[in-house]
Amino acid sequence: MVVASWIDGWRRVAQTLGMALGVHVLSFLLALPLAYAVRDQIATQLGSSLAAGRMADGVNNDWWSEFTAQATGLGTTFTPSIIGFASTLDTTSRVLDARYPPRALMWLLAAYLAIWTFLSGGIIDRYARQRPTRAHGFFSASGRLVFRLARLTAMAGVLYWFLFAYVHPWLFLDLFRDLTRGLGVERAAFAWRLGFYLVFGIVLLKVNLIFDYARIRLVVEDRRSALGALRASLRFVWHHPLHATALYALDGLGFLLLLAIWSVAAPGVYGTGLAMWLAFAAGQLYLFARLAIKLHFLASQTALFQSHLAHARYAAAPVPAWPESPAAELISR
Amino acid sequence: MQTFDEPLPDAPSPRNASYDINVRLDAAHKEIKGRETIRWRNISSATTSELQFHLYWNGWRNDDSTWLREDRLRAAAPLRPGDDARRPEQAGASDVTSIKVTPAGGTAVDLTPAVRYIAPDDGNTADRSVMAVTLPDAVGPGASLQVEIEWTGRIPFAADRTGWIADYFFFGQWFPKIGVLEDGGWNTHQFHAATEFYADFGVYDVEMTVPGGYTLGATGREMRRVDNPDGTTTHTYHADDVADFGWTTSPSFIEERRAFNHPKLPSVEMRLLLRPEHRGQETRQFAATAAALEHFGLWFGAYPYGNITIVDPAYQSNSDGMEYPMLFTGRANWLSPANVSTAPDSTIIHETGHQWWYGVVASNEFEHGWMDEGMTTWATGRVMEETRRPNMVAVRTFGTFIPYTLDVPLSREVDGNRMPAYRPDAESDATSTPTFRYWPRSANAVTYAKTSLWMHTLERHLGWPTMQKVMATYFDRWKFRHPRPQDFFDVVNSVSGQDMTWFFNQVVSGSETFDYAVQEMRNEPAGEGRTRAIIVAQRLGEATFPVDVVTTFADGQQVTERWEGKERRVIYTYDRPSPATRVEIDPGHVLVLDVNRTNNSRTSQSRGGEAARKWSLAWMVWLQELMLTAGFFG
Repeated sequence: MVVASWIDGWRRVAQTLGMALGVHVLSFLLALPLAYAVRDQIATQLGSSLAAGRMADGVNNDWWSEFTAQATGLGTTFTPSIIGFASTLDTTSRVLDARYPPRALMWLLAAYLAIWTFLSGGIIDRYARQRPTRAHGFFSASGRLVFRLARLTAMAGVLYWFLFAYVHPWLFLDLFRDLTRGLGVERAAFAWRLGFYLVFGIVLLKVNLIFDYARIRLVVEDRRSALGALRASLRFVWHHPLHATALYALDGLGFLLLLAIWSVAAPGVYGTGLAMWLAFAAGQLYLFARLAIKLHFLASQTALFQSHLAHARYAAAPVPAWPESPAAELISR
Repeated sequence: MQTFDEPLPDAPSPRNASYDINVRLDAAHKEIKGRETIRWRNISSATTSELQFHLYWNGWRNDDSTWLREDRLRAAAPLRPGDDARRPEQAGASDVTSIKVTPAGGTAVDLTPAVRYIAPDDGNTADRSVMAVTLPDAVGPGASLQVEIEWTGRIPFAADRTGWIADYFFFGQWFPKIGVLEDGGWNTHQFHAATEFYADFGVYDVEMTVPGGYTLGATGREMRRVDNPDGTTTHTYHADDVADFGWTTSPSFIEERRAFNHPKLPSVEMRLLLRPEHRGQETRQFAATAAALEHFGLWFGAYPYGNITIVDPAYQSNSDGMEYPMLFTGRANWLSPANVSTAPDSTIIHETGHQWWYGVVASNEFEHGWMDEGMTTWATGRVMEETRRPNMVAVRTFGTFIPYTLDVPLSREVDGNRMPAYRPDAESDATSTPTFRYWPRSANAVTYAKTSLWMHTLERHLGWPTMQKVMATYFDRWKFRHPRPQDFFDVVNSVSGQDMTWFFNQVVSGSETFDYAVQEMRNEPAGEGRTRAIIVAQRLGEATFPVDVVTTFADGQQVTERWEGKERRVIYTYDRPSPATRVEIDPGHVLVLDVNRTNNSRTSQSRGGEAARKWSLAWMVWLQELMLTAGFFG
């Protein structure tokens, strides 16, 4: 059942590549104006200096350290950790070490989360129905479900906030410090940290899994109550712990596999021209693959949930939409 | 020129503060009990009626010690409860239980009741890092006396560069040490957060008793090792002409020895005390030590001792990167990528370098920290550059445990000279301010980074052959003595044949910054097919330095102008057949202190947009990834 759902998930994602592409384009468009702003800062600082040539052909850390010293706002996020796989490691480590995102980007990330909340209704609806709903159906479902999903996201936010504001510092500051303060061996301290990553990571993933199923149940069963969806999700995970966890782990393996490939393939330092565009394309391909895996989590979990229903593949009936025709307009008069 | 530290006729140093020390480590209770005899001779022109001693470990005795007050100021915000690793029961302390003084030819006088604590720097009555006793009779120039001290030491837990953690013990600043009597009186500063040493040279005979099975390393050479009936082992070390004594012991050390041999330098036995978790890094640590012994030996003068001990310190011991005569601690990580040389290579080279600048040329670090830390930082950068050690930027992730190396080379200016540390604090203190009075948060930027940058500038200004002669002469003239800043300046001026006072006035006495910029490069028609190129060079910083302004024309011709750099700007006009395509101020990068290099050049074929596009696209991918990561929570 788990493997079948996993395969079914990929089938559903593959059937809706256009949707995935749309979500990717959205993140692209959100990032684009900020990239322009950063480009302006870099261009202004480089001016027509000789350092510009060095930065165009490769990299010059002397210039970079000078830029960092003068940068403000978004520019402060332009550090060497944006290069290649360092970016992936740094963002992952940022989550596990509870390093908050750069202040200059908080609003963007909040907006991205809000948009994702809006879109997730349409996405899950599409995966559940397994037939084209077209843009109208997609956005209709997104709009209809957005406030319910927003309530769910808010609940998740409170829980995540609790985890990062209280549990993480307790584990990684207080407990970690107390357990390792007398350790004279670095790898022993790291072993403790690894253990805490594991504990915290499992809690984080478990919460994520529960809220994934809450979203899925809210959409598939057209539930009005976010709290009810959460309780239903808990019931589902409680009754099918192995299936839910094994599928999540299988999905996670796909993510790790992608990271492993990216760790080898990520372009490091390159020149301008074709190399630059190829590197950018590789980056977009990786991001799209990562998004596809994220969508696959939802698609495969939807498949698993539906497979446990009395009527397999059940999804609540869509809201009837009146045809747009002159006759309809006449009736309304 | 001072004369108080002239060497003895038959020795390289004055040997006026010699120690016989007997110390026993109680590893279980983290305590030492010691007894020392100091044979001290007044080599100053002053007569003194008291003696002053450093009791460094009292720097952690109570929360109001000067060291801890200053240390708290180093943090940008007040510490939260529990942030400080020190706990009251793990504070360090030195308690003198007995002090007796015997004048030459006289009888011992017990001065224990007369012990008092003084705070010559800040009047802090809670600070007990300097002890004084009044002598029954004044001691005149040339007179000697013998001091016998018994004391107990509570070993601090992983304090700043000394103390214990797990089964590792490092003993620095650990014994009652007599201050330096100069012509102007005692120079015995309290223990400060940003400064460390100043002591006279002497002969040390030290017996250290530690639990059996513990490996021990110390300043000097091991003379005897005796296993005692109580299961302890006593190690006896001897060192001539050193101004301090450090030691370490742990049952976990792996001991390795290799020889440093060079046709032009005396052989040195290198002994490495390695932590088991760093097994496999032996060759790297020896190679870095050998590179330093070779280059500093050839450049400045041969390492004068026959052996050196490299201590690989325990994780979190806070004793990494610490120098003592003939012994130093390195800095290594469990994961130390081969192409990231900051640790252990650069640290080892730096601490070996201190054998010259601190160990042999023993300047007063309390007052002129730049003379040892800054010079050594400069010299380290030079060795790193000379030996072409790959040194790449590494991003440390997951609690800083996991390094990821980027294909981004670190330059001598950024890594070796620490320009990024200097920039934000460039004007925080003048170097000539006594180091212990520096603002604690930016003290290292001035002591290490600024000095290294101006020494590098001096090296490029004078040229390496002259600079090398300067440093070799300075070393030779001041080895086993206590030079002051003017002594170094005098050597520079005499060896180079140039009066560099104008430079030292700015970089040592002042805190202004250097920043030259190309303000404008303009080409106008000048008739008859010629072009008038107008070049405007500007001085943005307050400090001045002579620089070359090099203009390149479209036909490949170059014109170099020497600008003294004193005016706010200078305008050069050229009527030539070709337009100017490029102008660069200080193309040889002589003025390493220039805080903004990017504005030093301008070209007609700007590639700024091209570079900005490339890097903003890379940044965009990073941002999208960050958004996707954030999407996990939605």
